[in-house]
Amino acid sequence: MESKKRPARKRRNQVPIALGLLLLIIIAGIMLAGVNSMLAIYWIFGISFGIVLQKSRFCFTASLRDPVLTGSTTLTRAVLIAFMVATVGFGAIQFKALLSGVAGVPGNIFPVGLHTAIGAIMFGIGMVIAGGCASGTLMRVGEGFMQQWIAIVFFVVGSVWAARDFGWWSVNVIMPTSISDGVTKGFHLPTAFGWGFAFFGQLIILAAIFLFADWYEKKKLNKVPLEN
Amino acid sequence: MAEYKLDCFGEACPLPLVKTQKKMETMNVGDVIVVEIDHSCAMKNIPDWARAAGHNVDIEEINDGEWEVIIEKTK
Repeated sequence: MESKKRPARKRRNQVPIALGLLLLIIIAGIMLAGVNSMLAIYWIFGISFGIVLQKSRFCFTASLRDPVLTGSTTLTRAVLIAFMVATVGFGAIQFKALLSGVAGVPGNIFPVGLHTAIGAIMFGIGMVIAGGCASGTLMRVGEGFMQQWIAIVFFVVGSVWAARDFGWWSVNVIMPTSISDGVTKGFHLPTAFGWGFAFFGQLIILAAIFLFADWYEKKKLNKVPLEN
Repeated sequence: MAEYKLDCFGEACPLPLVKTQKKMETMNVGDVIVVEIDHSCAMKNIPDWARAAGHNVDIEEINDGEWEVIIEKTK
């Protein structure tokens, strides 16, 4: 493609900064391990997660927005694969806990109901306006995108506020609209539908959405050139 | 063969793409648009959309965290 050559601006060499940061990360990791070895593991997992998120340009917001905006479902399918991997992983952890006779199901299990749908829609509107979900915003704060520095401040304000009033919401909104037996119990698919049905059913549904997303993109993209 | 410049510095994800799509509609075949962005997400979805729509796309990192997406309208 023909385009005028633009003078390349002199770029800072970031390698020394990267090496310095790597050293700081290792020192902080060793210090955290001295306090509690779990802290060091959280530290390394958090940083690895951030690197993968940034390098892959993975974005939950885009995974739900781009199918509508551009017809691209690349990220949607990536998220669905992540869900499938998580289903297998968490399924294995929970099933193992069940077999070993541990009381209760490990993991964050919450009640579902109308409040889930309302919250999801509110979060969806918010994340498209803010230009990122929680992880995406955090990642771009690190990248240095200033607008998201504002978003993260209000994200924290909102989270703190929600945590402060959670008791009230729990009693007045979540309890009445929830389809689970009680707030503390949560809604656990395998408990409700049985392990085989819940586990394989979830994988089959996710795979079906994956195939639909693939078909949707092909249909949309075949249409786009004709429109222009 | 006009060349347009679209300054999208400081604009978050869907905005640069929507602006690019709107501008492309008003352009003639063969015209070139240079979209300046500094949001890493737009660096993915603008080229993705433009390539899918069949245009010629080129990406240049002009500075740390600043990119130019150069799109030639082909149809």
